[in-house]
Amino acid sequence: MPLNSVDFPASVIRLENGLTLIHQEIAATPVVVADVWVRAGAIAEPAEWAGMAHFLEHMIFKGTDQLPPGVFDYAIETQGGMTNAATSHDYAHFYITIAADMLAQTLPYLADLLLHAAIPADEFSRERQVVLEEIRQAQDDPDWLGYQAMSELVYQDHPYGRPVLGTAEILQQRSPEEMRCFHQAHYQPDQMTVVITGGIALEPTVAMVKHAFRGFAAPSACPPAAIAPVPELPGVRREILHLPRLEQSRLTMAWVGPGIDQLETAYGLDLLAAILAEGRSSRLVRELREDRQLVQDIGAGFSLQRECSLFTIQAWLEGDDVDRVEAIVCDRIDELAAKPISDAELARAKRLLCNDYAFSTEAPGQLAGLYGYYGTIANVDRCLAYVPTLQGYTSDHLQPLADRYLTPLRYVSTILHPA
Amino acid sequence: MTASLLQAPRLHRTVLANGLTVLVLENPVADIVSARLFIRAGSTLEVAHQAGLVSFLMGLLTKGTERLSSMAIAETVESVGASLGTDAAADYSVISLKTVSADFAEIFALAATLLRQPSFPLDEIELERKLTLQQIRSMQEQPFTLAFNQLRQAMYGEHPYALPGIGTEATVSAIVQSDLIDFHHQHMRPDNVVVTIVGRITPEAALAQVEQALGDWPVLPQPAPVLALPAVTTAPTCSAIAQETNQAIVMVGYPAASVTHPAYAALKLINTYLGNGLSSRLFVELREKRGLAYDVSAFYPTRLGPSQFVAYIGTAPENAATALEGLRFEVERLQTTVLSDEELQSAKNKLLGQYALGKQTNAQIAQLLGWYEILGLGVEYDQQFQDMVAAVTVLDAEAVAQEFFHSPYISLLGPEDFVAPVAAAQD
Repeated sequence: MPLNSVDFPASVIRLENGLTLIHQEIAATPVVVADVWVRAGAIAEPAEWAGMAHFLEHMIFKGTDQLPPGVFDYAIETQGGMTNAATSHDYAHFYITIAADMLAQTLPYLADLLLHAAIPADEFSRERQVVLEEIRQAQDDPDWLGYQAMSELVYQDHPYGRPVLGTAEILQQRSPEEMRCFHQAHYQPDQMTVVITGGIALEPTVAMVKHAFRGFAAPSACPPAAIAPVPELPGVRREILHLPRLEQSRLTMAWVGPGIDQLETAYGLDLLAAILAEGRSSRLVRELREDRQLVQDIGAGFSLQRECSLFTIQAWLEGDDVDRVEAIVCDRIDELAAKPISDAELARAKRLLCNDYAFSTEAPGQLAGLYGYYGTIANVDRCLAYVPTLQGYTSDHLQPLADRYLTPLRYVSTILHPA
Repeated sequence: MTASLLQAPRLHRTVLANGLTVLVLENPVADIVSARLFIRAGSTLEVAHQAGLVSFLMGLLTKGTERLSSMAIAETVESVGASLGTDAAADYSVISLKTVSADFAEIFALAATLLRQPSFPLDEIELERKLTLQQIRSMQEQPFTLAFNQLRQAMYGEHPYALPGIGTEATVSAIVQSDLIDFHHQHMRPDNVVVTIVGRITPEAALAQVEQALGDWPVLPQPAPVLALPAVTTAPTCSAIAQETNQAIVMVGYPAASVTHPAYAALKLINTYLGNGLSSRLFVELREKRGLAYDVSAFYPTRLGPSQFVAYIGTAPENAATALEGLRFEVERLQTTVLSDEELQSAKNKLLGQYALGKQTNAQIAQLLGWYEILGLGVEYDQQFQDMVAAVTVLDAEAVAQEFFHSPYISLLGPEDFVAPVAAAQD
């Protein structure tokens, strides 16, 4: 099935230095969002540097030779703006939301931080304490622990299996020199996408971005990431964890799907997730929560990543019901491939996802996030294929897809029980 | 940035013959309509042995009407890809919906029916109870929630603000169908309801749909009952929960002003100065300079009744005492240290700028306008609030700090070996 595309409303410009700029003016909006995406997530780390990409995201805010720590945050926030950042396996991104007329003054600061992060040694040691606190906080969250356990089982030695936060042990051994090396190797124009959306026209945006994002340091050599292939699941891998302070068991079942090189297939799995467990009238929620009352809640997740996608079913339930619910979910997964999906069910899932897409592009920040994400893991105009591709799906297309990717013979199951 | 929603000529406010208030703001930019149906009835209207009733009732609104089953309601909403949900807060409750514009009339009519004619089916009550009781137990898994519940209980005693909106195992176990029917009958009435509609819809069309769905909702002759709330007495305590967590949670709570109190705007400004964003005082002093935390902040909820000013931090257990001292120092120093003009102006820019950024989507605007109206502040409050913030002086901020930032209530959670000595030292 070909990917259908409609006219892309944003401008995509490749600057001379290799930097990609994506811009979309939104009329009648007094706000502008600048969201800079860098292909320097956890996947770019050598295994012994795990956590470096995320730690660097913190250190970016610690200033440059021109800009002492805290000056950037203060400048943005005292102009009524907001700034923050996030790191995942495929990317790190940094964004500001600010009144449109303040962008010209503040964008050069953001660019300076990203291009010329100084990573001072004393700030490095202090900020490491902050990241260690972040890790401690995560370790008190049973759902984070469960997610990490599931990821390790699914991805084995592939970097997607490592926590983005890294570990305290590894972080203690890292140095500012190593971080500067990682920064200089990856924060390069060909790895970077600047997205600007909101109340600003194209022409001043291009001039502003060209001016701010220049003078990149020459790329440095840095230990390469050794990326193992995403492993095929050999069968059913099951792990049971007993956690203190848990009040309720969890069951997470996971299947691996294709990455961005098979986007239309990935979107089909998104539809199957909605048919199974999005909303009260979906199959699993209706049967297991409303009718049989075997679960407190159940949901399906589909996340698209560069190298593979992940399809999950997660249930919150009593420990005694875990085996039974897992068996029922396997049955229902099997049925997806075996029986045609009714037109009404398919139409419902399509409308849910298409409307979610519309609802999630209402504000400039949401739009910038979408463009930046696609621009970083695929091509930005691919997000426009989402709605037409979903609309084109029929039961005949989906059944083989379920058969190929969602089988009760090969999946990962992570179970959390109260200790 | 958008100074005031009121200046937008597109805002229409109408009161129907039965007393129901309608606010409509046409915003044609996206093919989306968001609406809110606010009810002037929150958990403060619950008597003590029925704590959690409003939250329970709101959850059940989507689980059955005189004509529709729970599943029929879900299918109606989900088949058009709309979203429809309910929520209960301390001072109000609300039904929220969002649709593409073509589906709005159908889903709004459904929401109106849910509000007017819930049937509270017995089997749905039992399912909801089971799910709610599990949710109450699950709060035990979240250190922050536990520490905050402990703080709230200590600060509010017998006042309904003491309890989380969801109630307790004992009260939720005791709710029966007639409690729901009675509460619905007494409080869900047109003169207690504000409807806001924002998005790609003309004011005429929106108003016609409200008239059709809710215009014939009869007025009740007697006024809605009010509860005499117990006074909140101040006697600061320190309480600790021993749990073998990786991080300790440290919280301080100062009894603070209601939204109608003259100190409200100054306290919001102080909250911004101390706790909002990467350049806030607590973030810079305790995280950036001392590396004590990942999460350190403050919050000051907007309440019709006596509110609370809370500062908190998550820190390594061995740092609990240092962190407590740091939090208290930063809050209480404002009693004696006058902010500089620049600090005050920065806090104003930050608060007003972020306030404007909070009005970007139709749903955000519908929430804000209806919230002001249901609290009795009126939509004019959108501008008044900004004017009040702009007018706060450094001396106002100092006076407010002196009035409110005395000894705090303290809530600790963490490994016993670390938090018990900190708690003992407070006596």
